[in-house]
Amino acid sequence: MPMKRRKFIKHSSMAALTAANFPYILPSGILSSTTSSQMAEHVVFVLFAGGVRQQEAVLQRYLAGSQNEDVEGNILYNLLDGPPPETKIAYGIDDLENNIVGHFPIDALLQNSLESQGTLFPEVRTTTIGHFGGLVTGMSGNSKSVNIGGLAQRPIAPTIFEYLRKHAGFKATDTWYVGLSTGNSRPLLNYSIHEDYGRRYGGNFIAPTVTFGSPGQEHFMNFKNYHETPDWNRVLEIREFLNNNFSREGFEIPHLYNTDLEENQIKSFVKSIFNKNGNIFLPPVNDNGDLKIIGYTLELLHYFKPKVTVVDLSNVDVCHGNFTAYLKNMHRADHGIGFLWKEIQNIPGMAGNTTMIVMPEHGRNENPNSIKDENDWFAYDHSDFNSRRIFTLMVGPGIDSGLRVGSEDNPIGSAADVVPTIADIFGIKQTVYDQGLLDSNARSLFDRI
Amino acid sequence: MNTRIFTRLILLLFAAVIINSCQKDLYEVYEVNSIDVLPVNALKNKAKTDAQYISILYTNYFQTPIGPNKLLQALDAIRSIGDKQVAYDMIVSKYLNATPVLPSKEEMDADHEAFIRSTYMRFLTRQPTEAELAWMLNYLKSNPNLTPDLVYLAFSTSNEHYYY
Repeated sequence: MPMKRRKFIKHSSMAALTAANFPYILPSGILSSTTSSQMAEHVVFVLFAGGVRQQEAVLQRYLAGSQNEDVEGNILYNLLDGPPPETKIAYGIDDLENNIVGHFPIDALLQNSLESQGTLFPEVRTTTIGHFGGLVTGMSGNSKSVNIGGLAQRPIAPTIFEYLRKHAGFKATDTWYVGLSTGNSRPLLNYSIHEDYGRRYGGNFIAPTVTFGSPGQEHFMNFKNYHETPDWNRVLEIREFLNNNFSREGFEIPHLYNTDLEENQIKSFVKSIFNKNGNIFLPPVNDNGDLKIIGYTLELLHYFKPKVTVVDLSNVDVCHGNFTAYLKNMHRADHGIGFLWKEIQNIPGMAGNTTMIVMPEHGRNENPNSIKDENDWFAYDHSDFNSRRIFTLMVGPGIDSGLRVGSEDNPIGSAADVVPTIADIFGIKQTVYDQGLLDSNARSLFDRI
Repeated sequence: MNTRIFTRLILLLFAAVIINSCQKDLYEVYEVNSIDVLPVNALKNKAKTDAQYISILYTNYFQTPIGPNKLLQALDAIRSIGDKQVAYDMIVSKYLNATPVLPSKEEMDADHEAFIRSTYMRFLTRQPTEAELAWMLNYLKSNPNLTPDLVYLAFSTSNEHYYY
């Protein structure tokens, strides 16, 4: 029977009021502390990782800011407004016929840049200038969260996944970190060692080029998913019996508290991607690892529709020794992010309901090292003040379009801001602040506008 | 010796006998110190590394050691999935689908107790307790369609198998 309009308004108003104001008990047993309504139901945080110089990004100086060549222009035209370089094109697709590297720029995918659709903080500062420190800061909002042991260590302070799972009741499959590889500490960024948080509240992690690459093909592909058969209950019953006989606090296979249903979904997802045999949502140009990661991320978004997805691109890190490859990979990262945003608008439930945040984990030096590439262009490391200069771009529902906040003379924002910003989007900003585990200067970017 | 001295000596001797004979016997009492009775698997308190887990698992299933390149690939595959229970479930399921050395259903059904004992030894490196044996025997009896691969999957992805 159709509901009368007045009744509908009454019911929906009460539901909205209830959701906005009344606390509820989370699965973790604690009281929900959601403080305000959500701005979006999904967040995709792109760690434009690998170290991006402001000169080739926001400042759009192309070769003028790095190689003493008088050619300026914007090679990130899906992200930023601005005309591309007119000469010395080396960032696109190779001209194999004439043997010219990067000669054909990749076409823009977005009619309007993300900058024009959202809010750009063009001069943000980060205190960490190492990859892992930058990634940890982005994930935890705490630049001192890098474990003193350095690589192969989990963050000390909780990640955004842990805050959201503990304080907003997110499921494990609501939170995903998609990494390019299993190298360094990337697989360890999905939860911290903090005693009040940790694995119990960790997010899921996947490195798709490994899971579906040679290692996964050898050790996962064609696995029989017993989960999908009636036999699975018997496996669970026997395993539960065995586990009960080995029941001691903390003595368990380090799982992420996915429910049995979620574990089944992950296995089914893995199986479905193997079955696609490489036919995934790849961007039009997909000739590097970052672009393949974008494709797998889109598959993941379609399948799980996670509330928070962190995508970690890192191919631009080649800048240590090959500036041309750095430009090419930056241009491809821009292409991938444009494709990601465009395709999100085709995912039911995420279209029009997703905020995307793009931020490099750190910048790169003002002055080059001594390594030259095939174009005789100098390479850049990351160790000086220029490496602390980054940008942050936000786009999504309720975010001002075409807004720039801050400038080179007036830097606004910190790399630690992303965690409180995401917490703000999901209505638990104050709860996260109250834990006292963020950088003291970390603030929601919405409060900096 | 006159009678008085003799009488005194007799009395003295009698008194000495009486005094000595009234001493209490000393008994040694032996008691048993109370100790906590631990489960049979209580000493397993070290988690296997992924490399240990895979090496043991592979040898167990295929009765041959895993090669170094294959091991490195397996480690990479496991690291690529955040939830280790899911990763282990998948890798074990893959191995079960790749002609491992398993007892047949007929062998299992021919002697349930022998199957259970050998499975405990194979994966948990111990004999089952009487209670465990009874539960497993009952479970196998009441689930006639149960196959060895399902039992192996449960054992090799159990928490106890992850510890040593």
